[in-house]
Amino acid sequence: MKLKRYLALTRAGIIEALQFRLGSFVIVVGNLLYLIVVYFLWKAIYASAGTKVVNGMTFSDTLIYLVLATALFNFMEMYAVWEIGRAIQSGKIVLDLLKPMKYRTYLFWSYSGSFVTNFFMTFLPTFIVVTAVTHGAVHLGLNLLCFVISVVMAIIINYSIDFIVGTICLYTESIWGINIMKQVIVLLLSGATIPLAFFPDGFRRAVECLPFQSIYNAPLSILLDADPEPKKLVTTLGIQLIWCVVMTVISKLFWKASLRRITVNGG
Amino acid sequence: MPAIIEIKDVTKEFKVLNRREGLKGSIKDLFSRDYKTVRAVDSISMSIEQGEIVGYLGPNGAGKSTTIKMMTGVLEPTEGQILVDGAAPYKNRERNAQKIGVVFGQRSQLWWALPLIESFRLLKDIYRISDEQYDGMMKLYGSLVDIEPLLHKPVRQMSLGQRTLSDILAAFLHDPKIVFLDEPTIGLDVSMKAKIRTLIHALNKEKNTTVILTTHDMGDVDALCRRIVIIDKGKMLYDNDIEHLKGFFGSYRTLKIRIDGDMKEIAESIQKELPDFSVSADDEWISVLVDEEKAKVIDVLGRLQSSCKIKDMQLEEISTEEVIKKIYEEGVS
Amino acid sequence: MKRNGLGFYLRIYGKILAQDLKSKMSYRADFIISTIGMIFTNISGFVSFWILFRSFPSINGWGYYEMLFLYGFSLVALTPVQCLFDNNWSLRQYVYSGDFIKYCFRPINLFFYYQSEVFDIKGLGQLAFGLGTLIYSWTKIGLGFTPLILLKMTVFLITASLVMAAMQNAAAATCFWIQNSFYILDLVTRFKDYAKYPITIFSPVFRFIFTFFLPIAFIAYYPSLVVLRPDEVPLLSWLSPLIAVVFFWLSYKLWMRGAMKYNGTGS
Repeated sequence: MKLKRYLALTRAGIIEALQFRLGSFVIVVGNLLYLIVVYFLWKAIYASAGTKVVNGMTFSDTLIYLVLATALFNFMEMYAVWEIGRAIQSGKIVLDLLKPMKYRTYLFWSYSGSFVTNFFMTFLPTFIVVTAVTHGAVHLGLNLLCFVISVVMAIIINYSIDFIVGTICLYTESIWGINIMKQVIVLLLSGATIPLAFFPDGFRRAVECLPFQSIYNAPLSILLDADPEPKKLVTTLGIQLIWCVVMTVISKLFWKASLRRITVNGG
Repeated sequence: MPAIIEIKDVTKEFKVLNRREGLKGSIKDLFSRDYKTVRAVDSISMSIEQGEIVGYLGPNGAGKSTTIKMMTGVLEPTEGQILVDGAAPYKNRERNAQKIGVVFGQRSQLWWALPLIESFRLLKDIYRISDEQYDGMMKLYGSLVDIEPLLHKPVRQMSLGQRTLSDILAAFLHDPKIVFLDEPTIGLDVSMKAKIRTLIHALNKEKNTTVILTTHDMGDVDALCRRIVIIDKGKMLYDNDIEHLKGFFGSYRTLKIRIDGDMKEIAESIQKELPDFSVSADDEWISVLVDEEKAKVIDVLGRLQSSCKIKDMQLEEISTEEVIKKIYEEGVS
Repeated sequence: MKRNGLGFYLRIYGKILAQDLKSKMSYRADFIISTIGMIFTNISGFVSFWILFRSFPSINGWGYYEMLFLYGFSLVALTPVQCLFDNNWSLRQYVYSGDFIKYCFRPINLFFYYQSEVFDIKGLGQLAFGLGTLIYSWTKIGLGFTPLILLKMTVFLITASLVMAAMQNAAAATCFWIQNSFYILDLVTRFKDYAKYPITIFSPVFRFIFTFFLPIAFIAYYPSLVVLRPDEVPLLSWLSPLIAVVFFWLSYKLWMRGAMKYNGTGS
């Protein structure tokens, strides 16, 4: 029973996350405050613009997009780069490699518990509030199903990127530097801080060719599109699937090639 | 002469969270919590003179660290009074810190990336050590240990033994009245242990520094301490000369042997042969607890060898834990 | 024994700093990568800023250069926090592993001793970015370089720094009570990114919150008003240096309290 083993890790993660009651409370409240800042900021921005629609997005479009992007971020962010980097520097990685599970898989399932708690604690409440407040701006139909599929793929792509960046820590001691570069690039180019629609055309087309937009932009545009053209939907999901496969393969190969450094150098 | 450390009826209590088990328990914990009060230290009194080396013993969780934290001014006692050099340490932690040196387990207090000499220079400023005193101390160190190769090595590149040695030197640098050593020899090999013990002994002699030593290693206690204090579950069990204690328990040693065949069966037959001593067996060893007042270990070994073929043997002194267990079970008169 | 005065602490800090810089030289690769990471962060900040103002020429009556001024101001104000209080980020690990105790045995102020251990030199890169932005927008707005205005700038930059340091100290200190304080520290850090927007965009309730509870308004808005719009300086701007000192003092007290409380529970 392979899955049972994985789910045991998920369960342990949930228990661990629940140990910190005050911590969970702070996450929820802090998140709320953060959303309020975003709300007022964009309200002021749109008020100054003079027009209702900017770059094809209304105020409520932009708001829903950003709020859900933040919720997605909280839900997906797992600091795997730190985890891998520290494990490598402290030498704990050798113990992790001894576990009867591939390290990449082990780490992913160790985090899965926090996916579950974060989903219920940050994403779901945010989603319900947004849906209620905006009175049906979020269409509840087939797009929800596609959104879920898209998020799962986004998680996999995000994890693969984290894992690739984490692997780089085998070559350098600078976890902080490596991690901050990754975080900055992913947040900007995935459209998590500013919707891609606001990007200048040339820049946007370039960004669309990168894997990052599959993490935030893809699932959110699927969710917000009330009446999706089947062709567009399939293209978005298809591109995500391709990135999913490509990034997984790259991360696996890179890890395998880099692992020799541990086995040869003894960590 | 007044005592350098005076502890009177000191008690320390903590509030600890009672966690529930399992996933359901964790969810319950999220909404209601249940605390209980734990008495880590329970009305302890003792008085320590300047220049003494006192072994402070007890099993894990007995309250040793808590007592030491109170003496170093990091913790405030719930009840009772502690005076270190005539002042309550908690009331002015910084002033108290000037008078003490601490080596806390394997947690080096030196600057990780710096060569030892630079750490010493920083400590010289922090403790306001005069040039004269500093030079004197370095000279003394030079005469006691081979310090030259250590001075220019960053602490992070040192072996555990070198690091411990450096930490001890750093703790004595400002000529404190008291030095607290928590498990100074843990994880070290035999020769390094001996080196560290000699160093502590020499520094104590030279500077008349009071040393409070917590350890699980009876070797440390034998080499350094004349007096020992034992606590368990926060209560003081023993405070007296080490000779006094040895009179009770020092005659016990554990003889461990390995023999081919079913260890359990053999152990039973040995027990029949040696009814005076307790014999036990695990997967690897058969242990015989020998009371040397009744028979010499060498004689016991001879008797065993005549009846079975011994593959391997070990001789162990009775461990601190065993002594404490015995004290706890049987008491000391 | 003589009490340790300010001169004593400055001398000790100078020596520790000199030693720290010496030892940093032995991690050159880390230093370079971290610096690049820092540059990335700043560039991404500028790109976001530029994308936003491409679509919206002003926010709430604040023009492009005025916003740029606020941005530069916040960057410069954040530098001391980055450089001097960076060890706050490690506090959680020291507390978790129990290593924090080692800071408690020196005859000097615990907070000082702990913070002095790390000087984060890459913060200086941010200073360069911030100063560049500030001076550029300064000349574009045409504020002039009189001694008075420079004095005002200095005082109010220090004010802003103190507020930010206070927020970070308080956030880091939470780890003495709750274990996963990383989220709080991370949250405060994310909030400081929004400090560069004028507080007037918020509704009165949140203006109050962001002034007195989560005082991000003091990081750029209130202090820079003194220089930027000298005709409409609110009382709070003039009071902000005092308020900053109070905030910093409170955060210091909280930190020390936490440290003492933690020692009671740690093994």
